[in-house]
Amino acid sequence: MAEDDGWGRNAGRETYRKLMDFVEVHPGVLVFRVSLSGVRRIDISFASETLVELARRYRGRKGFCFVDLTDGDQIENWAAAAQRAGQPIMSWDASGKPGMLGPEPSQGNADAFRFALDRPEVRAAEYGAARTAMSITNASSKFKQLWEQGFLLRREVVADSGGVEYLYARIR
Amino acid sequence: MQETLIELPPHWTNASGLEDVLRAAPSAHQSGSPDVRFRIPKGCQLMTDAAVRLLSLFNQLDCSTRRVLVEFEEGEDGVLGYLGRIGFFESLLPNVVVLPGRPMSSAAARYRGRNPSLVEIERIDRKQRDSSLLNRLTMAITRACSQRSDIDELQGAAWTILAELIDNVFSHSETPLDGFAALQVYRRGNCLKVAVSDSGLGMLGTLRPALQSEVPRFAGLSDVDLLVEGFRRGLSRHGSSRGCGLKGCADKAIKFRAELDVRLPQERVLLVPGTHGYKANTAFCYSGLPLIWGTHICFTLRLD
Repeated sequence: MAEDDGWGRNAGRETYRKLMDFVEVHPGVLVFRVSLSGVRRIDISFASETLVELARRYRGRKGFCFVDLTDGDQIENWAAAAQRAGQPIMSWDASGKPGMLGPEPSQGNADAFRFALDRPEVRAAEYGAARTAMSITNASSKFKQLWEQGFLLRREVVADSGGVEYLYARIR
Repeated sequence: MQETLIELPPHWTNASGLEDVLRAAPSAHQSGSPDVRFRIPKGCQLMTDAAVRLLSLFNQLDCSTRRVLVEFEEGEDGVLGYLGRIGFFESLLPNVVVLPGRPMSSAAARYRGRNPSLVEIERIDRKQRDSSLLNRLTMAITRACSQRSDIDELQGAAWTILAELIDNVFSHSETPLDGFAALQVYRRGNCLKVAVSDSGLGMLGTLRPALQSEVPRFAGLSDVDLLVEGFRRGLSRHGSSRGCGLKGCADKAIKFRAELDVRLPQERVLLVPGTHGYKANTAFCYSGLPLIWGTHICFTLRLD
């Protein structure tokens, strides 16, 4: 950003290109923790063209979260842009408490999401085992939806059985 | 061919009053007459939103080869003096004839920036974005509304609203004519008005062509319904993930009990906030208005 205020679609698109260049030169990084230190204000159009668009583009493959977002007006504007794009973005405060910008998980998936937020990585089987009357298939389906919708990331691992299993990770 | 005569009323006139006048008169753009005369009688006081809208209209008519005559009944003691003070004549195209005459020297040039209750008319140059205009407008709002209990939140919200509105001039205004912004505080009326005006295609002019592919279910809506949908849901020619600017402005305007007036080439939506639950938020819609190119927005905020 050329200034400490970010506003307008064109300025947003310029910043987006810079952000994308940064992401592309760090291919091994899965989660980008974004600091807004030095950013005084952003409007909704700028929010929508920058980080929200970036998160949408890389949904399911890379995650983006805020680490020091405290300004009420900025929270409102990032949330409005994320909501409009249907792209959830996590925001973590200094004590590690999570906040959600944009769409919330569906009621049916909210508990699975909270479960995932409490630990760095989780298998569907662990969630299934922790809840009564929750089949592994059902648990897998919930996590898959959360991944597809941009709430979680996942990676493939080889299960004890020799088959493929997914490890789901919060975006932090 | 007979000239088109449009006569303003001899009292305070805001954008709504101006729209009433324009609706009652022949359409300056569409009448076919090459001569258009605006008569501004003694006692007529133009509020900022009306002044900025008129400035765009005068320049548009001049640009479309009309001979435009603006006749003030009062000299510089009346509204002519006020318009000079807010920089109206600096932005009025030179071929527009002003009677009894344009002010000899520009009061706006002399006093620009000295009155904290006024941000004089500024050109919005699409080639070079001026962030200082946005900051000056926000500062003027902050100063004027310092008595409001929600001033801290309001400052951020006002900045966002203005950023979105000014950016809109860049996004939807493909025209050689300038866009304008101005602010005036009305202490006695307990309000301030920020007007942003451009002479481009208008939001719907740029949105309509994209609707069929992007949001086909809205393609059949009338212009005014489409504008209301823009307020309610946010619509964009760039696809469903964008377009929350106007909706964001409307949400914030309602939250801070501001009135938002959006005038497109032939439509207008006036969003009036409810009063603490007694009255619901209301959108007054007008269609089939006399043509004024572009998008003309006014945001009216209470001072306390």
